[in-house]
Amino acid sequence: MTQPKHILGTFDQALATLRNDVLMMAGLAERSLDRALKGLLQRDDNLCATAIADDEEIDQLEKQIDKDGVDILLRYQPVASDLRRVISAMKLSPNIERVGDQATSIARRARKLNGHPVLPEVEWIFPIQKHAMAMFKDSIDAFVREDVDLARAVVGRDNELDDMNRTANRKLTELMAQNPDQLRGYLNLIFVSRCLERVGDHATNISEDAVYAAAAEDIRHQTFAASS
Amino acid sequence: MTTVLMPSPDPVVFERRDRGIASSPEAEPASELAFAVKDLSMWYGSKRAIDKVTLDIPSKAVTAIIGPSGCGKSTFLRALNRMHELVPRTRIEGTVLLRGENLYANTIDSAVVRRRIGMVFQKSNPFPTMSIGENVIIGLRLNGVRDRRLLNEQLEKSLRMAALWDEVKDDLYKPGTSLSGGQQQRLCIARALAVEPEVILMDEPCSALDPIATAKIEELIHDLKKQYTIVIVTHNMQQAGRVSDYTAFFYMGRLIEFGLTTKIFTNPSQRQTEDYITGRFG
Repeated sequence: MTQPKHILGTFDQALATLRNDVLMMAGLAERSLDRALKGLLQRDDNLCATAIADDEEIDQLEKQIDKDGVDILLRYQPVASDLRRVISAMKLSPNIERVGDQATSIARRARKLNGHPVLPEVEWIFPIQKHAMAMFKDSIDAFVREDVDLARAVVGRDNELDDMNRTANRKLTELMAQNPDQLRGYLNLIFVSRCLERVGDHATNISEDAVYAAAAEDIRHQTFAASS
Repeated sequence: MTTVLMPSPDPVVFERRDRGIASSPEAEPASELAFAVKDLSMWYGSKRAIDKVTLDIPSKAVTAIIGPSGCGKSTFLRALNRMHELVPRTRIEGTVLLRGENLYANTIDSAVVRRRIGMVFQKSNPFPTMSIGENVIIGLRLNGVRDRRLLNEQLEKSLRMAALWDEVKDDLYKPGTSLSGGQQQRLCIARALAVEPEVILMDEPCSALDPIATAKIEELIHDLKKQYTIVIVTHNMQQAGRVSDYTAFFYMGRLIEFGLTTKIFTNPSQRQTEDYITGRFG
């Protein structure tokens, strides 16, 4: 349902600016992650360097979103769904920023790996990357479209990513014992896999904020609450 | 004949009734009930100002009434202590129970109702010819209290409760109108408290005050709700959010939604409420 216009046009404009900044930041983080992983899978150092350089812009947008949010709270004192949108935007931007950091870490590991002969086990990263990036993209879509079902589905997909990371870790650790010469390479792959697992954690956090923004429901830490 | 209203011996437990309006499960407090308003309609001449409002107002809590101008919120407030009867050509239907007792029963004297249910208005209105002290105890005098010691005790007690004693204790013989706007409003609250009402109705009590005077009144409301039921009409959404425990949203004479203030201001059930409080009305 389309929301009616606010009696103050400047308020709608301020909310739209905040939303656009979140979208832009998420778009940059997604692109940076994609470049870092392509840099790894295609052994392209230039892509890695670009991914690392992108991080500065993502960091600046995090600060901009905080400033936009504080301005809206100060000037308009929003309530109800408007308040939830502003709070959620301010809460999810650090998660997007951390996704940007993971992209930088992956790009740095990729550059190290690219300096040595190719490891066939790099292919193991591909399904993990696909899963993590889909989670991140869907979490942002859920926030922007206020799609509670999609947000909940993203949260449910995190366990699968954790399992994929654990399996990769176990197999790479076994290889390290069998082939100590490639120890550094395997270690770098373990770090890349862990970065992608963290991307899934951030996507989960973003999805939880998306549910709060759309439905005023706090779905964080439900496993703990249910068991205690 | 004057009928003295006695509080119901058995407290009425607040329970949800099928009132045909939105009320979320979180909006059902297990507290004692002050007012039970059922199917209340009111007309000014042929114009209907309130349309079948059914609302339970909890005791010893602050209930804010919000809504756009002309939605009937002040009219509803006045109907709670029969103040509307001072306006010609008004007509009312429905029931208003205070602790189970019908305030509109034939045997009930409207003056006694207004003693039980005090009111503070938008513009402070101390009696201009009276001193600060006289303004506070005039209600007691009109009720026949002559004991000077009792009057003095009640004077100090009421001014202390209205957080005004320290500011005026040395100037009790000065005119009430010599005080600042914020002090005059607290003087009016002290005057309402002096007759020991059960309920205080406030009709935009801070709309003419600066932020500092407003803050004092809001702190006072916070303190007073421990002993009194307070119903406040306000146009200031932030104020409703700050001072009230429950909020009722009125539109075109109808009650659209009633619930816990935290719920109404974070996740209202009704689209009309959401549109109004977020500034997207009309």
